[in-house]
Amino acid sequence: MLLGPALAISALLFSIGVLGVLIRRNAIVLFMCVELMLNAVNLTFVALSRFHGVGGQLMVFFVMAVAAAEAAVGLAIILAVFRHTTSVDLKTNTLLQG
Amino acid sequence: MSPIDTTSPLGVTLALLPEVVLSLTALGVLLVNAWRHETAADSRLAGWLSLAGVGASLVALAWLAGTASDTAGIPQMVALDGFRYVGNCIFLLAAAATILLSLDYLEREEIRGPEYYTLILLATAGMMLLGGANDLIMVFLGLEVMSVAAYVLAAYDRRSPFSAEAGLKYFLIGAFASGFLLYGIALVYGSTGTTNLVMAGTFFETGELSVMAALGLCLLLIGFLFKVSVVPFHMWAPDVYDGAPTPVTGLMATGIKAAGFLALTRLLFVTFPANAELWQPVLGILAILTMVAGNLMALAQRTVKRMLAYSSVAHAGYILAAVWSGTRLGAGAVLAYLLAYSLTSLAAFGLLGALGRGGERDLTADDLAGLARARPWTAAAFSVVLLSLLGFPGTFGFIGKWMILSSLVVAGQWLIPVVLVLASAVSAGYYLPVIMAMYMKPAPAGAGDAPRLPRATVVVVAVIVAALLVIGVWPAPLLSGTLNVASSLFERAFQ
Repeated sequence: MLLGPALAISALLFSIGVLGVLIRRNAIVLFMCVELMLNAVNLTFVALSRFHGVGGQLMVFFVMAVAAAEAAVGLAIILAVFRHTTSVDLKTNTLLQG
Repeated sequence: MSPIDTTSPLGVTLALLPEVVLSLTALGVLLVNAWRHETAADSRLAGWLSLAGVGASLVALAWLAGTASDTAGIPQMVALDGFRYVGNCIFLLAAAATILLSLDYLEREEIRGPEYYTLILLATAGMMLLGGANDLIMVFLGLEVMSVAAYVLAAYDRRSPFSAEAGLKYFLIGAFASGFLLYGIALVYGSTGTTNLVMAGTFFETGELSVMAALGLCLLLIGFLFKVSVVPFHMWAPDVYDGAPTPVTGLMATGIKAAGFLALTRLLFVTFPANAELWQPVLGILAILTMVAGNLMALAQRTVKRMLAYSSVAHAGYILAAVWSGTRLGAGAVLAYLLAYSLTSLAAFGLLGALGRGGERDLTADDLAGLARARPWTAAAFSVVLLSLLGFPGTFGFIGKWMILSSLVVAGQWLIPVVLVLASAVSAGYYLPVIMAMYMKPAPAGAGDAPRLPRATVVVVAVIVAALLVIGVWPAPLLSGTLNVASSLFERAFQ
């Protein structure tokens, strides 16, 4: 069975996504890392649904729809920030602190 | 009293009637905005229409609570129990108050775009689905509907760089947290083969968790604790609450936090009650950390808005302590405290937004000096609200804290209650100076007249202050009511 390797790969992809969010400071790259996390989970769902029926595959469609909605809103917010500071680097966006 | 037949499409619609009414209103308001989105009057129209939708949803909720008996048999995706109804009631009240407070705020700040109200309605519909979710798929979808609308609301003031930055931070952290939550859902699904909370609960009844299920629980907890801003997952909360438009901050601190806590309570109490020895130590330690750190950091703040933001983190610690107990009393305390905190916080942020006149981000306690002479009623209302946040006897806040304490003591715990009482004492150090400034310091020379509160704000604040005082001195119906509702959660758990 391929379950073990599939789960391992998705765990690896998820960890790369988490590390990316923690290390990188560019808003767009951060957003890409979050998308990587979501898609790693999608891989887990698809792999698991071989054993548990179509429920997991159904979930993947919901996740894709949600990720698309998040992308639309997220990129718009990044654009709004860029208009104010002409930068999407989190190191320069530090008006709110304390 | 006919139970609703959830096997027919009509029955499902009826079982979801409050959510359906609210979503349809949101779409209707959006449609009206397509033609009328130019002037301030159009914005007001959208606000009043949204308020009517919230009212209709409340009526539908009352009907549903009176009609539906808990359906036995296959557990549904959305629960039909008192716990959901009371949660929905909190969310709808928060939405109504936010809409009323926003009417004049948006006009004064010249924030254009009546879609604001559609977003509030959609966020509320998401909260209702999250708070009532009986299935992990619904937990995820409700959370995302709520959060995506809230990201936009946080960044709604397009001319303010603070608002944009708050939106960015909220979005990045929120998406990051939902990634964890989703992985947790996948692992619980993998170890049980179901996403239903009740059915997964029967799977874990023995008290043993596989490695996969334990990891799943851990990731689910991380996702939820980010959302409800528990230390050490709280870094985003003060910045986002500070930068967002003040009525939106009120909604985020109340409705969104309440939805997260109610879903977390249902998950732990319905699915993982047998594994309490696994999650109780974690929640206990984090609750203590949150109470201590939240209150200490609030002490160090200069502006009132940031102080309230940090105090909201501290209050998350109190509620987490109630979740810790894992008992019926604890679930009742969660409900009562969420209601008390939501009402109080809405009034606090409403008053702050109305008093600030544009610069409410920088409003300090000294700016409120002499308010008691210029506007005695406003000062009195703000004092009651702050005392309720503090947990002063005679207010609703005290009843909420007392319920949490008693649930902890009955569960045989002494460390968390002691920390809770000490932390509350510390919180007097930042609530009371505001009251002292209003009553004991003279108004600064050269300052203009204190702004008069808009009429809608007066109504909201007056109703909330009256409720805080009435429940504070006559809590018996509320106490027995929340305990009854809390037991509905446990009947389902052992079906």
